Amino acid sequence: MAAVIIDAVRIYLIAGGVVAAVFLCWGVGRIEANARYAFAFRPLIAPGVVLLWPLVLWRWRVVLRGENGGARHRPPRRAQDRIAVALALALPLVLTLGVLVRQNGPLERAPVRLAAPEIAR
Amino acid sequence: MSVKYVPVQWNRNKWIYDAVLLACVVGYAWIFLKLGAPAAGATRPVDDAVLRMRAFGSCAFLMLSLILCIGPLARLDARFLPLLYNRRHFGVLTALVALTHAVAVLDWYYAFSPTPPLQALLTANTGFGRALGFPFEFFGIFALIVLGVLAATSHDFWLGFLSPPVWKALHLLIYPAYGAVVAHVALGYFQDVDNPGFALVFGGAALVVAGLHLAAARAGAPVAADPADWLPVARWDAIPDGGAIIVRLSADEAAAVFRNGATLSAVSNACAHQNGPLGEGRILDGCITCPWHGFQYRPEDGRAPAPFTERIPTYRLRLDGAVVMLDRRANPPGTAVTPLALPVAA
Repeated sequence: MAAVIIDAVRIYLIAGGVVAAVFLCWGVGRIEANARYAFAFRPLIAPGVVLLWPLVLWRWRVVLRGENGGARHRPPRRAQDRIAVALALALPLVLTLGVLVRQNGPLERAPVRLAAPEIAR
Repeated sequence: MSVKYVPVQWNRNKWIYDAVLLACVVGYAWIFLKLGAPAAGATRPVDDAVLRMRAFGSCAFLMLSLILCIGPLARLDARFLPLLYNRRHFGVLTALVALTHAVAVLDWYYAFSPTPPLQALLTANTGFGRALGFPFEFFGIFALIVLGVLAATSHDFWLGFLSPPVWKALHLLIYPAYGAVVAHVALGYFQDVDNPGFALVFGGAALVVAGLHLAAARAGAPVAADPADWLPVARWDAIPDGGAIIVRLSADEAAAVFRNGATLSAVSNACAHQNGPLGEGRILDGCITCPWHGFQYRPEDGRAPAPFTERIPTYRLRLDGAVVMLDRRANPPGTAVTPLALPVAA
């Protein structure tokens, strides 16, 4: 199972490398005016393209179709507030769990001396 | 603002910020290795490899905690706003320190495995059904992947290409990543450490992060409950000259009402660059200036001055006696609205 996961990740990253090569050498200058004739920054964004190539392909398509004029000023504020509060509530619980399950913590059960297995005679 | 992309937009302040960060990381690692670790009171002697991975792991944890404190601190007290500056470099450095920790772990605990180290990492402990002995490594793997993705998408290009809402949504992953890091520490290092000092530092850092986020959530401006189109904002003389008052129109939308001498103008509170809080900025050279990265907009139409092209929505204002009223129906980005003249001389 672990080998399959690692192979899948490897294939994903190889595909990302191909997308990155095409995007950085050919595509980025055509869809982003600020990237035209700007080459020094491209190696810096290569890791992001490799890691997020499905998202890059989707955004590439959106920009090419001219659908990029959306609500750039609308942050996911509601989600951020909720996630931050959920995190704030979860952290004490996680820390408490970490202390409770310690081997010398308050939930530790008394050690039980194991008896030697009976040997059939 | 729109300029050709460069690898890093260095300036003197950024050099100083990054130099201080780097010095703190090196100093922490040195102090941990030379002074702190021998006092850790571990249950058994630890060698140099384990000390190194603990030094970088704890450093990454504390750095991430500090990063997560900056946002709510700046929201609670404007004096912390300068800490927001260059926070992305802070995040990239944190990802590198966390990666150093992970490499140190792989090169020690899994270096002598008959299977490849990564495969051994995934198979060494699969006891997902128990709390004691839970494979805490998976929390660390998840957090490291998230930190890597966030660091890899920290360049300004990604903001423009993905659009601020998508970029921001992606970077909200920092919250579950921090939760995973705390679980990684609580179910890993907490189980082994005997010195309460270290446990208190880690637990205290996480609780400070939690407390600050709760405090910032409570301190946020309440959402306007009035469903009418025109909302009362404040008395006009309560708005500081050159500054703004922020009005939350819904859970997702806020407006900033700026006073520029004897006139008032209202725009969206979210900057088109990185959705920074424009209402916490000031009017400089006649333009609303974002406190995060200095993006500027004209108050009268929400457009960046030429040759830049960013636009934000505007809102209509009127006076009801001394009270400023705002029309909650936003105009399309870049719509000109005549600034509201104030009876300053009266």
